Amino acid sequence: MAGANQIYGAGMIESGVTFDFGQLVMDNEFARMIKHVVGGIAVNEETLALEDIAKVGAFGDFLSLDATLKHMRELSQPTVLDRRVREDWESLGSTDLAQRSRARALEIIETHQPVPLDADVAKQIRGIIEAADKEKGVA
Amino acid sequence: MKRNLQAGRPTSGGLSLNVFTDAEIDDIHLGSLEILERTGIWVEADDALDIFADGGCIVDRETRMVRIPPYVVEDAIRSSPPKSFLCGRDPDMDIVLEAGRVYVSNFDEGIMIVDSRSGEYRHPVLQDVREAARLVDGLSDIDAYESAVHPTDVPEVTASLHKWEAAIANTGKPVGTEATSAYDVKKLIEMATVISGSDDEFRRRPLIGFGVCPVSPLKLPRDATEVIIESSRAWCPDTILSMAMAGGSSPVTLAGTLVVHNAEVLSGITLAQLTERGCPVIYGSSTTAMDLRLAAACVGSPELALFSAACAQIARRYLIPSFVAGL
Repeated sequence: MAGANQIYGAGMIESGVTFDFGQLVMDNEFARMIKHVVGGIAVNEETLALEDIAKVGAFGDFLSLDATLKHMRELSQPTVLDRRVREDWESLGSTDLAQRSRARALEIIETHQPVPLDADVAKQIRGIIEAADKEKGVA
Repeated sequence: MKRNLQAGRPTSGGLSLNVFTDAEIDDIHLGSLEILERTGIWVEADDALDIFADGGCIVDRETRMVRIPPYVVEDAIRSSPPKSFLCGRDPDMDIVLEAGRVYVSNFDEGIMIVDSRSGEYRHPVLQDVREAARLVDGLSDIDAYESAVHPTDVPEVTASLHKWEAAIANTGKPVGTEATSAYDVKKLIEMATVISGSDDEFRRRPLIGFGVCPVSPLKLPRDATEVIIESSRAWCPDTILSMAMAGGSSPVTLAGTLVVHNAEVLSGITLAQLTERGCPVIYGSSTTAMDLRLAAACVGSPELALFSAACAQIARRYLIPSFVAGL
C-alpha cells in the first residue's frame, strides 16, 4: 500500500531459510487479495448505483440485477482458501489449507506448460555453461 | 435524472499508505548524505575505488573509505531512470516498475526446502529450481521469478549460470538473478543474448536483472561492486538491496537504521551512475530488526513491514523503482 514496485518473499518460511511450494501457492492467493485491496473503491455514477438502490427499495434483493451479473467477477474469489461452512467443508474431506496448497502446487508443476524454449537456443546456453564449468575446473 | 460530469474532480485511484511526512523523509535523506560525506563507505575493490575517485569522491586508498559529496549522490539519484522494465522470454509477461505500481515475486535463495511430495526438509537441488520456476509461471499473481532456492548439486563457482538456465527454460516471466562476480554477469548476459538473438535486441529488452547486497554497516564488498559495474555497463536493471538489522548491524532505532540503509543503497546507486550515467537501478530493502533475545533476524515482523513501506516511500521520493521484502 506504500507503493513498493516489487514485493518479494512469496513461498518463504522460517525467516528466509526455507522455501515451500505450498506456501508459494498460498502467497499467490494472498498477493491477489492484497492487489485487490490496493485497487481501492471506485466511486462514479455507475458504482454508486443510486437508481438500483431506489428500485430495490427496502424489501427486494440485488442478486438478479443486470449490474450484479456485470460486475460479479470484480469481487474477490479465492482458490485454495475455503469459504464454505463447516458441514460442507467436512463433506469435501476436511482438508486443511496446507494440504490443498501443496496438492495445487504439484498439479501445476506436473501439468503447467511454460512457453517452450527453442531447442537450438537451449543447446547454445548449455554450451556456454559447459565451457564455463571447464574454464573454472569444475566440469 | 441527469448527472453531468464533474470538472476536475480528484479521485483516490486506490488505497495508499504513507509512513513519513515530507519533512521526515528530508531528515533521513540529509542524514544519509551527511554519513556518506563525513564518515564514508568502505569499498573493497580497486576498480570501484577508481570509479568513485574519477567521479569526484574523496578516496583514502589505505583505509578504502570513500567519502561521497552530496552533489554526487544527488546527481546519481537524478540520473537514475524513474522506471525499470523487467523482461521475460514471453513479452506479454514483461512488467514495468514505476510510480507506485505493485508487483509480487517469490522469495529468493532459500537454502532449505520442504519437499512437496514427501514433506521432507532437505537441501535444494537443481530440479527444485526448475519446478519453482514452473510453479511461478503457472501462478496468476506472482509476476516475476527470483532465484528461489540455492541448489547443492551444481558446482558452487558456476551455480548462478546453472540456476539461471534451469529457471529461464521453465518460465516466460521475468527472471531476476543473483550474481557474485563480473565473470558471472558476463556469462549470464552471453546466455541471455542467445535468447534475445542479438546484442542490440538484448540492450533494448534485457532478459536478465541482477541483485546485489551491500554489507551493513556501510560496506560495499567486491562481489557487489563487480556486479554493479558490469550490469551497469550492459544496461541491465540492478537491484541494490541492503539487509541491515536494527540493533545489530545498524542502530536499534528504526530511523537511524534507515539512515544507514539509505546511505548504503545510495552508495551503490552512485557507483552504478558513475559507471554508466542513466543505467537502470532499483532501490532495494530487506532491512529488518534483530530479535535481540534470540539474536535472530526477523523477516516476518512489524519492523520489516515498516522498513519496507518506508523504503518504498523514500524510493518514490527519489523517483527510483523499489524492490522490498514482504508478504
